[in-house]
Amino acid sequence: MVSKIGSVVIEYFSWTRGVLALFYNILYWIFVGPFKGKAAGRQGIFAQMVFVGVRSVFIVFFVNIFTGIVLAMQSAYQLERMGAELYVASLVAVSLCRELGPVLTALIIAGRAGSAIAAELGTMKVTEQTEALDTMAINPVRFLAVPRFLALFVMLPALTVLGDVSGIFGGYIVGTGSLNINPDLYMQTTFKYLEIKDIYTGLIKSFVFAVIIALVCCYEGLNTKGGAEGVGRATTRSVVLSFILIILADCVVTAIFYFSKT
Amino acid sequence: MSKDENKKEAVISLRNISKTFQGKKTINNVSLDIFPGETFVIMGCSGSGKSTLLRLMTGAIKPDEGSVFIKGKDISRVGTGELDEVKKSFGMLFQYSALLDSLTVEENVALPLREHAKLADEIVGIIVKLKLSLVGLRGYEKYYPSQISGGMRKRVGLARAIALDPDIVFYDEPTSGLDPVVGGVIDKLIKDLSLKLAITSVVVTHDMHSVFSIADRVAMVHKGELVQVGTSEEIKNSSNNYIQQFINGRPEGPIDFFKEDIGILEELNP
Repeated sequence: MVSKIGSVVIEYFSWTRGVLALFYNILYWIFVGPFKGKAAGRQGIFAQMVFVGVRSVFIVFFVNIFTGIVLAMQSAYQLERMGAELYVASLVAVSLCRELGPVLTALIIAGRAGSAIAAELGTMKVTEQTEALDTMAINPVRFLAVPRFLALFVMLPALTVLGDVSGIFGGYIVGTGSLNINPDLYMQTTFKYLEIKDIYTGLIKSFVFAVIIALVCCYEGLNTKGGAEGVGRATTRSVVLSFILIILADCVVTAIFYFSKT
Repeated sequence: MSKDENKKEAVISLRNISKTFQGKKTINNVSLDIFPGETFVIMGCSGSGKSTLLRLMTGAIKPDEGSVFIKGKDISRVGTGELDEVKKSFGMLFQYSALLDSLTVEENVALPLREHAKLADEIVGIIVKLKLSLVGLRGYEKYYPSQISGGMRKRVGLARAIALDPDIVFYDEPTSGLDPVVGGVIDKLIKDLSLKLAITSVVVTHDMHSVFSIADRVAMVHKGELVQVGTSEEIKNSSNNYIQQFINGRPEGPIDFFKEDIGILEELNP
């Protein structure tokens, strides 16, 4: 029993150390590598940005607009009793920008792009492709992880903004269509209570989530062992761990903002 | 080792290297010299440690004890930067080719050139065409690895391995999983390359046909130790029982087929 707990703790620490080492390596190749003439290929970064970002536009739009609709209906159900339907607008906007937009978008991207990253890198690992890169003196972290990290770091906040906008649009549909709020008034109320800090705290979160997804999925992918089964395991683990860490980080970051009165 | 080889300086030399994996000694105190321009074959059964030996030479794994010298540089003790420089001077053909799936044949061969040689795109294009014609694959530039056969993938892997004009090429089971004709083609390519480009070739294989058609010298590995090193004639006529059993593929002999240490009777009567 004790040895089992011990081995779990050791595994946990070595996992954390591995992820942090990967983070250090990625930062090295982003900030120091280019000055040594070893920049990550621009082509690879753009290809990853298209995959992570552009191809996720529809699903992010879809999930967030329906969340906006549901959020508007659920809050209208409560606010109607107090005759305060108008405030549906600000409630939807604030809760989307501060919380739901960043978190939902990050979860979608972890499931869609993160799993694909882990599966692709995992397959490359088990078919000796990463070893081949290494033998050709091409650093796998620079060649594979850095473009994916940068693509997520740029595209996740961009997608979050899109998610915020489409969620607010979802609320707008319910507010103007079903609650009969004047469209102009709805937009006015939306922006009256939505402050710039609501948006940037949401965006700070999405940067944190991007780092989490990139690190977890690249680490799991690059450390895959044991054939096809190993790739499956790495993919599942990367998604599950990303989800857990996103929710955990969300809690921590929200607490920091809350207690620092931001 | 013949006398005139002694005069030449070894391009690869292993000195008393040992490597242990999960408590099991995979390589046990091996010393070996490989000379410029020769085709050196390492043969042995599966699990004998021959692939580990190759990976020790490429710097993919580090020995627990001993040193690996490539062109006089101890790659088990140099930093990453220096190791990368050594890596650029050799190429490797992997058992399953290990081409990048996401890149076309052309891009795969161009990859080491794009990464390490500061060349204009046109020049890279010309070199790629040249290397592909060396392995007889002109016209397949735009195909993806998944669209071509295993033998063709091996040849693309070979073109990639020689893209940077290396002095040394490592081959990990170059003919395994190929039909005899394609296997023969690969053997011929290995021979041609070492003749035309004066490449030192290190080949790991258990394909006996290919061993005697390409090898200048042969080393037999068994349970992580060298059984014998010699020219292919010496090996063919060796009186060593291990080697004779291996060459002739006899099931009976000193090489134990059964891997387990526990006999069936012990398990039945605990």
